[in-house]
Amino acid sequence: MDAAREIELTVNGEARALDVSSTDTLLTVLRRDLALLGAREGCGVGMCGACTVLVDGLPVSGCLMPALAAAGRSVTTVEGLEGRNGELHPIQQAYVEHTAFQCSYCTPGFVLATKALLDGNSDPTEDEARAYLAGNLCRCGSYVKILDAVLDAAARLRAPG
Amino acid sequence: MSEPTLIDARERVTGRLELVPDVALPGMLHAALTRGTRPHALVTRVDTEAARRVPGVKLVLTGADIAGLAIRGHFGPVLRDQPILASDRVRFVGEPVAAVAASSLAAAREAAALVEVEYGELPEGGPTFRDVVLNRGDGGNVCNHFKIRKGDVDRALDSAAHVFEDTFSTPAVQHVPLETHACLASVGPGPEVTLWDTTQTPYAVAAHIAELLDIDASRVRIVVPSLGGAYGAKCYTKIEPVTVALALAARAPVRLELTREEEFVTVTKHASEITLTTGLDTDGRIVARATSCLFNTGAYADIGPRVIKNGGYGSPGPYAIPNVRVDSYAVYTNLPPAGAFRGYGQAQAAWAYESQMDLIAERLSVDPLELRLRNLLRDGDDYHTGERLHVCRWAELLQSSAAAIDWNGGQAPVRANGKARAKGFACVIKGQVTPSTSTATVKLNDDGSLNVLTSSVEMGQGVKTALAILASERLGVPVDQVRVSGVDTAITPYDQQTSASRSTFCMGTAVVNAVDDLIWKLRLLGAELLGAPAEDVRIEAGALHAPEGSRSLADVVRGTRAGNVIGHGRFQTEGGLDPETGQGVAAAHWHQAAGAAEVEVDLETGKIDVLRYHTAVYAGRVVNEAQATLQAHGNVAFGLGQTLFEELCFDGGQLRNANLGDYMIAGSEDMPRSLVTETLAEEGAEIHGLGETALPAVAPAIGNAVARALGCRISSLPLTPEKVLRAIRDREAVPSEPA
Repeated sequence: MDAAREIELTVNGEARALDVSSTDTLLTVLRRDLALLGAREGCGVGMCGACTVLVDGLPVSGCLMPALAAAGRSVTTVEGLEGRNGELHPIQQAYVEHTAFQCSYCTPGFVLATKALLDGNSDPTEDEARAYLAGNLCRCGSYVKILDAVLDAAARLRAPG
Repeated sequence: MSEPTLIDARERVTGRLELVPDVALPGMLHAALTRGTRPHALVTRVDTEAARRVPGVKLVLTGADIAGLAIRGHFGPVLRDQPILASDRVRFVGEPVAAVAASSLAAAREAAALVEVEYGELPEGGPTFRDVVLNRGDGGNVCNHFKIRKGDVDRALDSAAHVFEDTFSTPAVQHVPLETHACLASVGPGPEVTLWDTTQTPYAVAAHIAELLDIDASRVRIVVPSLGGAYGAKCYTKIEPVTVALALAARAPVRLELTREEEFVTVTKHASEITLTTGLDTDGRIVARATSCLFNTGAYADIGPRVIKNGGYGSPGPYAIPNVRVDSYAVYTNLPPAGAFRGYGQAQAAWAYESQMDLIAERLSVDPLELRLRNLLRDGDDYHTGERLHVCRWAELLQSSAAAIDWNGGQAPVRANGKARAKGFACVIKGQVTPSTSTATVKLNDDGSLNVLTSSVEMGQGVKTALAILASERLGVPVDQVRVSGVDTAITPYDQQTSASRSTFCMGTAVVNAVDDLIWKLRLLGAELLGAPAEDVRIEAGALHAPEGSRSLADVVRGTRAGNVIGHGRFQTEGGLDPETGQGVAAAHWHQAAGAAEVEVDLETGKIDVLRYHTAVYAGRVVNEAQATLQAHGNVAFGLGQTLFEELCFDGGQLRNANLGDYMIAGSEDMPRSLVTETLAEEGAEIHGLGETALPAVAPAIGNAVARALGCRISSLPLTPEKVLRAIRDREAVPSEPA
């Protein structure tokens, strides 16, 4: 293993300085060094989406991104979505109300992918949402309810006030 | 805002649901395994020198080192045939040969890759999967043989008007829980062992680890928070023995988490080859069926002997057949072990019997719906295990599924624009594990809230919520006043296993019985408190009532200074089959389902689209509607993948597609655009589990639709584009025009 290097990045709005090696992935650093456990390894090769986090607002596979590449960037994990008093984000609320999960190992990744989708397209069609989320796998097969939750979350976020 | 339909929903969407890979202990070491690279070879030398020199490595264990530790060297739920680490020979590619514990995961994995293993060749030419050699000895390959003998099959086949023999096969696949197996082991002080473990069978693991360590089972504590999916993969001991061995040797806590690639070779679904010989009379009634079921159990038995029993007794299907002979075999091969898998052998069986039902209908020019209705089990029929059946709803489920896809007899496929559309259906039977035992404890607190202590494992099926609902209804307290424990075998009472779609029924009944026990104790306390005879005291709507007055449950606990009030409940089923004849009670009750599909096959590319799917299951009673629907959706997604693309591809024993780039599972785009779930419930009926019920119908329902679209049949799963194109080519090579 090579020597550690210090990087600075923003995680869920907070400036952090971390010692990382060139072989550390962003996922490893989030889990091992920051104890942010919502992003999870599913496949290790960027195919399942369970490790999805947002980097400068865009979804990335935390298991593929070298931690060094996150230097100077802003990372959002599922832990960064709740409000100041612990209130759920409207996307999370929609997932809860639609029971859009079973084992929920994949849920944080889906929730963040949903956020990226709706940040870029506030009114997706069902087909657009389905295609956008094709990179996130749910082995329990909760896709129908996840799509319901996504479209409902979009409607909530569009609603005034 | 509506109520969440799962009591732990908030943890699930915030990423705070505790899972085994999230648990850490001070001073914990990380483990990694070195795995064999030969399907069958002698291990002549294991060199750990370079591995030990990696900074941070605490120790490296080989098979020879295991013999020096206070742990037995072989494990397995039925036969103790699997070595913790291979020492003299390896029997599948991926078998653990050495284990490393190090201060970091990166160091452990680096060291594991540096262990050098030298192999000695073994002569080839043992029996293959298809050569069943009964006497194991040196040359045999049968792990076990399950039989059913009912009536006189040979005589009935001799005198039958029609006899058909067909063979169907299914490949090995993997469960692919997104959370791989993980285990954190802490040994000591003294003979105490604690495991935080991804297991569906905590009490079975505790008993087995205790046996390996030769200590009392109560000295082994298994803690299971929630699981990130399991589907049978996490039944019985897998990685626990090696993790315990490392913790013993290192005198420190050790955590092992498998990589995805390792998960693929840890446990698989049995590949199968099933031959059905079916005789019918002139009225299209089945008079005899003989089945020969080969299940590829891999290099070690695991729970294979039980899987092939259930696959065997399920293989004649949900039909009333007077003469039945079943021969089901678990066959050893040099492949990764096969074990419990959602459907438990009966999905392989359903692919065979429901494919053959359509073939027979076609050969006899009968509507396949009509052929099934003539033969389906009805109330009062005996199953071929000899047990009398009640509450048979197959005909209803099948008819409603067929109606849902607008089936009206032998429709010809619709062909247009290079595509063919057609419909198909299937109906299936699945047994519930019997005999079995569940126990539960409920604790009423002095604020009126209730704790349910249970060893049922929450793995996404929503068992905590289902148990909370059942307890809440029985006692009359709101669901949000009920808390359901995680599993800790030092605290939570015995449960046999979380599998076989049994928890809502078996553990649910145990919880209801525990609440009844609690109610009896509350009536005694209430009588004491109010000075009333116990027989005049009732519990209704979460309060205690007597002619002398009413009290809240909290007041009863406080007023009597009881501290808290405990109820205990137990539920057991009885049964078992004769080893020679397979006669007896196979299942306390039977799971019943049907499914119907409409597919569109692209005749140019071979791609199959499932346009719509209707799933119908007998629920008896639905405890949580949202979760019942999710189980049905999940079974369809799971079944769809196995029908269309999932297959472990081995090349000389080496798995070629051990990653989610090469091994596809169903994604959102693969789901049928129209998916309807039907759960049949009846007043006063017993709860029937839904965890697997819908699954076995999926492959044959889609397969029957595809066969109708193509005008020919593919007998092996999965139905890949390559097979579709080959089937079209072969069909066109023969002159007969499909219907």
